[in-house]
Amino acid sequence: MSMAAPLLPEGFADLERFVPDWVQPDAVTRMATRQASPIAALREFYDAMLPRGEAVLAHLRHHQLGALAGPEENLLRLMLMLAEVAPAVEWYGDPRVYDGFPVERVRYLRQISDSAAQAFAGEPA
Amino acid sequence: MNEMATPPVPDIGITAHYPEIGTGPVDTAIYHEPAIYAKEMDAILRRSWYMIGRVEQIARAGDFFTTDLPTFGYEILVCRARDGKVNAFHNVCTHRGNVAEHRSEGHSAGLFTCRFHGWSFDLEGDLKRIRDEEGFFGCDKAKMGLRRIACGVWQGFIFVCPEEEPSQTLEEWLGEQGADTADYPWSQCTQSYQWECEIACNWKLVNDSPAEVHHIPVLHPNSAAPTMMASGNPMGRLLDVRIRGNHRTNSHYSVQAEPKPVQKLAYFHASAAQNVAGGARGYPPGINATRSPFWTVDLIMFFPTLSFTLSAGMYTAHQVWPLGPNRSLYRQRVFVKPAGTAAERFGQENTMVEFRDVVMEDFSTLERIQRALDSGQIREFHYHDHELALRHQHHVVTRILAA
Repeated sequence: MSMAAPLLPEGFADLERFVPDWVQPDAVTRMATRQASPIAALREFYDAMLPRGEAVLAHLRHHQLGALAGPEENLLRLMLMLAEVAPAVEWYGDPRVYDGFPVERVRYLRQISDSAAQAFAGEPA
Repeated sequence: MNEMATPPVPDIGITAHYPEIGTGPVDTAIYHEPAIYAKEMDAILRRSWYMIGRVEQIARAGDFFTTDLPTFGYEILVCRARDGKVNAFHNVCTHRGNVAEHRSEGHSAGLFTCRFHGWSFDLEGDLKRIRDEEGFFGCDKAKMGLRRIACGVWQGFIFVCPEEEPSQTLEEWLGEQGADTADYPWSQCTQSYQWECEIACNWKLVNDSPAEVHHIPVLHPNSAAPTMMASGNPMGRLLDVRIRGNHRTNSHYSVQAEPKPVQKLAYFHASAAQNVAGGARGYPPGINATRSPFWTVDLIMFFPTLSFTLSAGMYTAHQVWPLGPNRSLYRQRVFVKPAGTAAERFGQENTMVEFRDVVMEDFSTLERIQRALDSGQIREFHYHDHELALRHQHHVVTRILAA
């Protein structure tokens, strides 16, 4: 019997329980996930991720976009979800922007790929 | 002693530098009256230039993208020709009016072929092929190319003008404001997010939303205020407002306060000091013009509908598309520096989310104000000294319509 492929890099097993729900394919689904989640669930995710943030970024700093293995890509996507969740927890105490313009009316036309290599100035896109 | 400990709070008195603009309350009619909007269409909106993309989107000959000019109902096709020039056309097949190119972006081997009956146009817009041409009655292909729309490039941004014969060139329209903000490394921010939303309000209200920061301590108490205003600037004053013809720039003052925990991760552990001042040396004269150590952001406004929020390492383009006296389409494109590592990618996302949520706070006011305007409940606006950019916009619109 073979071992299941690891969901996250070694040393981050404590965050694996968040992978099924909080790893999302792009910014649009991350925004929708935040809006559809109760604040208690956002807080639980935030409270678990925040103390691990520096360690996660120290790990991701050694991994180049365009060459991410599956576990690193999952770990990055958890951090991207943390960015989406942060205002809900830190600013509003609610998934929604307090008294805000309805975010459902925002239509994304262009996103930055979560994991692809990015062109620097003067390089072909 | 730490000089940052006692920052000079900006003074009242900016409006006094521009006596022709006045200080009294202004009539709000230009924000809602249909007849005034119709005049604006002819006297202002048709005569202006609109930013629709970047040259990097069409790096090689044959690369193209399509877009629209919502204010005018125009569909546009932009491509890179073999000679390297950027061409822009009305994306309208001259046979029956379908779009000549239906994809949003891509690469053409040399022809754009309409998906309706198969007419084909080349990168210069010339009609090259009519399917079953013998069945037509003497179509003169030489006269049936795609119609060109006036197009120009400034600092890598692609602009078009809806007027058939533009009454001002792109350079004339950009004016001193363009000259003073050129030579910023605009092309270094190669990555971008873009989103749009329709708002039931006048186009000038959308412009007004970021054009003063007097509201920041009140409307953004937990989001922008702690990092942008801090204790040194509780009234939300600006460093400066510079007026250049019809255009203007606000320079924002800030004392960097303690960021929130996730912001700290982004700013200090993701090498994405996108929102943090510093490194702002060698800017052209129109950006951070005061050279103050307390500068954080410039809002560079090109009248009537384009502005850039620019801070060290990133900028956001705001293009407003008027759709009527009380309807607008807003398109925002956040440009950030490219990320090499996965850690830096996190910094980009944090920047985008923060900015979007703050704009959601800003935009909460717009449809409410428009209802007050449309129902006649607010007939005058009283502007603060540091709301000068709004007063100047009112002044420019009123002056042009009176001419």
